[in-house]
Amino acid sequence: MLLLDYHNPLLKTILKERFVKPAAIDQIISDFDGVTYHIFTPEVKTKILISISIKCYQDLLQHGAEEVLKREYGSYITETEQGYNFSILIDLTALPEDPEERNDLITRVSLLRRHTMAAPFEKAISIQQSLSAEAATDPSVTTKTSEVMTIRYRDEEAIYVQASYDRVTVIFSIVFREETDRVLAKTFMQEFVDARKQIQMAPHVMYRSDPPLEIRGLPGVPEAGVAVKKGDIVYITFVFFPMHIENKAKREHAIEHIQTFRDYFHYHIKAAKAYIHSRMRHRVAHNLKVLNRAKPENEMEEKEKKTASGRTFKQT
Amino acid sequence: MSSSLRPYLTCVRSSLTAAMSLCDFASEVAERHNVPEIESGKTPEVLLNPITIARNEHERVLIEPSINSIRISIKIKQADDNEILLVHKFTRFLSQRAEQFVILRRKPVKGYDISFLITNFHTEQMLKHKLVDFIIEFMKDVDKDISEMKLFINTRARFVAEAFLTSFQ
Repeated sequence: MLLLDYHNPLLKTILKERFVKPAAIDQIISDFDGVTYHIFTPEVKTKILISISIKCYQDLLQHGAEEVLKREYGSYITETEQGYNFSILIDLTALPEDPEERNDLITRVSLLRRHTMAAPFEKAISIQQSLSAEAATDPSVTTKTSEVMTIRYRDEEAIYVQASYDRVTVIFSIVFREETDRVLAKTFMQEFVDARKQIQMAPHVMYRSDPPLEIRGLPGVPEAGVAVKKGDIVYITFVFFPMHIENKAKREHAIEHIQTFRDYFHYHIKAAKAYIHSRMRHRVAHNLKVLNRAKPENEMEEKEKKTASGRTFKQT
Repeated sequence: MSSSLRPYLTCVRSSLTAAMSLCDFASEVAERHNVPEIESGKTPEVLLNPITIARNEHERVLIEPSINSIRISIKIKQADDNEILLVHKFTRFLSQRAEQFVILRRKPVKGYDISFLITNFHTEQMLKHKLVDFIIEFMKDVDKDISEMKLFINTRARFVAEAFLTSFQ
């Protein structure tokens, strides 16, 4: 499991089970970035209400989340449950007949978070494409960039998306609480930057500890070099070129893949830490063994000895 | 073993063996007390001259002998942030287990990463040359281990980064 899944595995399993055998349920599922789902059968077993609560929903709405969700879930959309941001209702008695379609529905529902967050990325890509088409006739467009879309998906962290005629820029601000994480993250980020030498087709990656020019002056972004404790917050910029988003499949993949970046990054930092920890534990056990060699083996004297005939005696 | 490590370790080994001639010594300050003189430092005449053996500016060993105890402090090489982190984690790991490591001091001497305190009671219970072996082995392994772990982090980071970015193709 090197790469993270884009869907929520638990949600998927539950739906799979319920599609075969309806049963009452009332469960809250958490996902990355403080997203929670609520699966609930309010009236009858065959009607499942799935609600999602996501921190940045207001931001997403501004950038067309509604259309994306409408496109993906269409007739399943229902009145939003109290305390959540978006709800869909699935009637198990009115499922599509075709097993293919059923599976497709399960997958689509388990990708709820991905679809909710996809809107700004889709918008940026479509802006990029229209700008690029304009740029063919009007060279002045090349200096134009779209507004920066901010997705404040965690308390202190945000994703910034911006499009221009030849690129889509995605900037992550990531906060590292611990010194250890910070040091490891630096190594990891350096490798992300260097990886481009190996993989020609990869998007451009940069990292810095002060806000990049694109997002300076935006609300919620600290001024360059002030206020924040140094090294506390890190900005990682991904630059996508048209080749990464040239067709629909690539676009969809790029969107869902970039969404997992922060979790992926943290996940592997934690994994590296766990490995180091277990290794040190091992090392300490070894050192202890070496030290114990220094203790003379005095058990020999106390051990009972046997004569040839089998009688025991103690040496004095 | 690299060419400069061998003479360094040989030097530490012979200095340690020489310094580790300890005998029982009851405190002259408080009656019926028997404390490691190097720690209390209240009887200056039983403290011997400390020795520093340095391999280079980053790696050195401080041996502080006294009549009934010696203190050995080791400074481990730390070239970059990663190594500082690993050394810090590792020595912390060890010091938390000081109880098991009878001769380990919970807190390193200032300017060093890890300290050992060997008293005459330890040398009475344990074999002296094996204790020296332990210190030498520790010094030999710690560098190797730290650099291996550092290498692992880098390899992992590269692998992780490539896996993530390859997926965009």
